[in-house]
Amino acid sequence: MKNHLTNYTVYRTVYVTYYMANGTYSAEILENLKLELRRGCLIVAVLAQLRTEQYGYTLRKALADDGLAIDEGTLYPLLRRLETQGLLVSQWREEEKRNKRFYRLSPAGEQTLALLLEEWQNINTSLSKILQEA
Amino acid sequence: MNTSSSRNPKELVDRYLQAVRFWAPKPQEDLIAELGEDLRSQIEAKEADLGRPLDQGEVSAILKACGMPMVVASRLGPKRYLIGPALYPIYKFVLKMVLLWILVPVFLFIVGPTNVVNSKGDWGLAVLNTFGNLWTGLFVAAGVITLVFAILERTSAHAAIECKWDPLTLPPLQKQERKPSLIKTVCELGFGVFGLIWLLLVPHYPVLILGPAASFLKAGSLWHTFYVPVLLLGVFGLLRSGMILARPQWTWLPTLSQLLQTALTLVVLSFMIQAVGQPSHGTWAPFVALADTAKQSAEYIKVAAIVNASILLSLAGTWLGLCIAGVIQTWEFMRYVRKRRSSAPQTASLPAQ
Repeated sequence: MKNHLTNYTVYRTVYVTYYMANGTYSAEILENLKLELRRGCLIVAVLAQLRTEQYGYTLRKALADDGLAIDEGTLYPLLRRLETQGLLVSQWREEEKRNKRFYRLSPAGEQTLALLLEEWQNINTSLSKILQEA
Repeated sequence: MNTSSSRNPKELVDRYLQAVRFWAPKPQEDLIAELGEDLRSQIEAKEADLGRPLDQGEVSAILKACGMPMVVASRLGPKRYLIGPALYPIYKFVLKMVLLWILVPVFLFIVGPTNVVNSKGDWGLAVLNTFGNLWTGLFVAAGVITLVFAILERTSAHAAIECKWDPLTLPPLQKQERKPSLIKTVCELGFGVFGLIWLLLVPHYPVLILGPAASFLKAGSLWHTFYVPVLLLGVFGLLRSGMILARPQWTWLPTLSQLLQTALTLVVLSFMIQAVGQPSHGTWAPFVALADTAKQSAEYIKVAAIVNASILLSLAGTWLGLCIAGVIQTWEFMRYVRKRRSSAPQTASLPAQ
């Protein structure tokens, strides 16, 4: 069988090389944009999960199971900030011979969550309109 | 060998938490305690899945997934900038102005010449000392400016500046005209500095201009008369390049200053050529003369005459070339002036993005 370079092979090689070079760069940008999008949703997700009392690890696990993974270094400072803002209340308790800090929504937190969910709905509606127009 | 795996996880986690505590910006005991609890819960969950205690490698993998202690600790405290995004552009501008446009010219044109004058003949050492002091001065100035801006950032002084901002005080629109090439100007400045240093060193190291002939030749009478004007021309050139670099929006400056420089050089050259025709003490040695220590040999006299004649011819050629250049530069400047006068007042358009 003759092995020769056809036009198709050349074009395909150039296309694949170009896509690989530019595709990798685009994938990195996409990942960063996805991260920014998730970051915006994190507070609502955390407040929503804390409608039931949880401690740090179980909260993280619940969020990860629902598709919103968050690392320890991000979650705990966020919980501290929300508590400082009066949206959460926490309590150290001993469970299974270990001290754990349990969090739940404060009354102000419940109100804020309701308002944030309303805002979330409004954003979704606006986005749907924009996407329909596009 | 291996200690029991039930002891290792706790010790490794404790060591990890110790490192995080070390790097944390301020005491964050409760956060670190929660982090520790989270890590231990992860280990427990994994051990429950595997049905056995974790080994050191597996615990290490969990800690690695958590992140480097320094990085984790940095997230525990509030975000802090030494110089934040609001002040950073001003900081960069002040740093550039002070280091490039104040410190360097002061050292080159004031401190340097002062060191040279006080050096009692050892110019080379004076030049080296000047550059050494300049280097130290640059670092000290950069440090002080950084400290001042760090204090401003810490005291949130920029917030007060932002409140006082008024759109009416914005500078007027600048017309988009072709600006001089930055690389060309920087190169001119750089070579100008080296040229000036060379000129300053030549009287004490004639070998820099005469080469091996310095052993039997010395500078003629004309150089002593015209040394200072030539030096001043060099300084003028440096100032010109510096001003063009500092003010690129002054589009009239390169043309006009080039014309002025050509005119001044022509004046100096004219006087030099005129002075050449006046022999002193019966010998014609305007540019180079035989050194006192050289033998009065016919060969050396011949060499000196050839060098003098060559320099005179070069000066005459330069004078002619500068005359032509002067005419061209005058025409360019007149064209620039006519263009500025004829362009009607119009709103400058923003460059297309």
